[in-house]
Amino acid sequence: MYFQKKRCIAMLLAGGQGSRLKVLTENTAKPAVPFGGKYRIIDFPLSNCVNSGIDTVGILTQYQPLELNEYIGNGQPWGLNKSHCYAQVLPPYERHDKKSGWYKGTANAIYQNLQFIDRFDPQYVLVLSGDHIYKMDYAAMIDYHEKNGADCTIAVRDVPLAEASRFGIMNTKPDGTIYEFEEKPKQPKSTNASMGIYVFNWSILREFLIADEEDPNSSNDFGKNIIPNLLNSGHKLMAYAFDGYWKDVGTIDSLWEANMDLLGKNPEFEIRGDETQKISARNNALPSSYIAKEAKTVNCFIAEGGEIYGTVRHSVISTGCSIGVGALVEHSVIMPNVTIAPGAIVRNAIVGEDCVISTGAVVGGVFVPGTQRQISVLGKGHTVEENAVVAPGEVR
Amino acid sequence: MKALGIIFANIYDSSLGELTNKRTIASLPYGGRYRQIDFILSSMSNSGIRHIGILTKYNYQSLMHHIGSGQEWNLEMEEGSLEYLTPFAMSHDGTYRGKLDALNCAIEFLENTNEEYVILSDSSVVCNIDLQKVLDQHVASGKEVTVVAVDGVANGMKQLDLAIRLDESGEVVDLAVDYCAGPEYLASMGIFVMKRELLIRVVKESVARSLYRLERDFMLRQFATKKLTVGVYLFAGVALFNESTLEYYKNNLALLNPEIRHGLFNAGGTIYTKVRDRVPTVYGENSEIDDCIVADGCELEGSAEHSLFFRQVKLKAGAKVSNSLIMNDCVVGENAELDCVILDKDVVVHPGARLVGTPENPVIIKRGEVV
Repeated sequence: MYFQKKRCIAMLLAGGQGSRLKVLTENTAKPAVPFGGKYRIIDFPLSNCVNSGIDTVGILTQYQPLELNEYIGNGQPWGLNKSHCYAQVLPPYERHDKKSGWYKGTANAIYQNLQFIDRFDPQYVLVLSGDHIYKMDYAAMIDYHEKNGADCTIAVRDVPLAEASRFGIMNTKPDGTIYEFEEKPKQPKSTNASMGIYVFNWSILREFLIADEEDPNSSNDFGKNIIPNLLNSGHKLMAYAFDGYWKDVGTIDSLWEANMDLLGKNPEFEIRGDETQKISARNNALPSSYIAKEAKTVNCFIAEGGEIYGTVRHSVISTGCSIGVGALVEHSVIMPNVTIAPGAIVRNAIVGEDCVISTGAVVGGVFVPGTQRQISVLGKGHTVEENAVVAPGEVR
Repeated sequence: MKALGIIFANIYDSSLGELTNKRTIASLPYGGRYRQIDFILSSMSNSGIRHIGILTKYNYQSLMHHIGSGQEWNLEMEEGSLEYLTPFAMSHDGTYRGKLDALNCAIEFLENTNEEYVILSDSSVVCNIDLQKVLDQHVASGKEVTVVAVDGVANGMKQLDLAIRLDESGEVVDLAVDYCAGPEYLASMGIFVMKRELLIRVVKESVARSLYRLERDFMLRQFATKKLTVGVYLFAGVALFNESTLEYYKNNLALLNPEIRHGLFNAGGTIYTKVRDRVPTVYGENSEIDDCIVADGCELEGSAEHSLFFRQVKLKAGAKVSNSLIMNDCVVGENAELDCVILDKDVVVHPGARLVGTPENPVIIKRGEVV
């Protein structure tokens, strides 16, 4: 088989468990979690790649990959099913040299797939996470990397000082050169938080991955090992500032917030518009939604295949949901194929795929301004019995 | 038993007036996110038919754009599973004079394949049908041709392409073409099953005698002279005949009825269509949407009742729409009022404009117009 040489290929880290998403990732990998009515989290980095002219994407999977593999399939929804464009799923595998095993860390995952990357003899490798919601032109970042003659470029965003200690912080000189990296510093010196998006010169990364693998004390992680090692050995690392919308949806609260950010007249995150940054998804062939006379649909997203008879306010309703007469859905994220029976009430909740909320059931509660919003969560396929109550903040 | 599928894309174009000015009846938008051909094409695909020819004579650009390689219908499995049979310099003046003439132009397609049977279909009747069952019944019946028909459409007013009357034992006793048959007749849905060899013979023998029309020149003639045995497959599901502008208008609004909607979409296989990857529809703070079908990608700020919104429609604040079909990419300006209107694709209605038709005479605004 002939492999075309590529300027840049992407490696998408999609193997993490996402344990802070609790029941939502009990049986599925985080990148496969539904988002925004008809998408899954992985659609964002995948579509960004395609929109940035990157046509070869290795997707590193490990934790509960069934749905994710199914979803990616042959890559057709993103146009990655051509003879020279791939979305290639890369699970851990058994090796001849007995070094096989699970991916031990983010760097080890890439290390185990040196062969895959070498086939394309790329100049640059873009390393991405599968758990962020954003639209970004990676091509501009790669150009910046090239123009500055960097060995590694890390996308950063400005975060409030108070939150900086939750992130990996890049301390830079005025020209953007990184002189220090601090992982979750107690006393942050700056507010440039790493977004977990890296561009590397492949020849250098390759060398460092091999060295890292030979270090028995390494945790084989980009943030903890590869980046500090590059810095300490005097390589040129640049920070690439990104000021568009970006959200790590690793927690229940942030996943809920990111969904709500789609709503409103001037949404925080404008998913519509600009065709050059279109997010593509694998579509189910469902009919258009029906909005009944009794229904009230205010400030919400409703995807295809809906049968809406109840009231929906400030919520995201995914594909194939039915909401019965007199039911109320407020400030909630309803994932695909959920049935909400007549008279049921859902407030401040994330309802997983295929859930059934029976007549008279109440999920979640009213948000009291000035308090912490309590998001109730139902895992995939959960049934809430008639007149049952799922308390605010309860996870089932 | 394998069958070849043939879809006629242009029949009835002329009776839909402006809506088919720049497209085939097959590519006419229907039901929010579909085109008419999606229904028969999906039915064929779901019934295991893997080799389909689409016969078209003009205005087929939008049709080809819509269907492409057929991947959304799972039809690009192998080379040549979906073929467009266009009238390139084969026929006399480039257009067909009837289905038999059209088939004559595609005779090589019919000859160079190995399926034993052929299923022919129009694209004007919207239905979700298991054609494997039709084929099974056809083979079991021993008849030479099986016609798929429905009860309850013939009413003495609607002109039917082919009306069929059965006796009590279910045998065909009368056929009539272009006839306003009474309720004792069944209406042909334009779906026919026969052996491929028979169809090839009929096409060659008919065209050699300047006979071009399938129903009149073949079915009726041969049946009347007892040279052909005809059976009927009685279809019990939802079948909507979109053969005139008024029927098209009413049959779109008919989808607001849950029985018809579920009968069409949930009674059989999945109906596929071209994927556009639009975002979910967004409902504004003051939108008031009652009894409507809404496709993906719309932005609804105004109010609407008893209407269909196709993909990516913008309904601005204060606009009021009722009993109307608003096709893809239309913009209805602030405080505009529409009642009994069909807006073809890409129409812009200026703020404050008022368009009022009647349920029997909807106002039609041509594609791309600004009003």
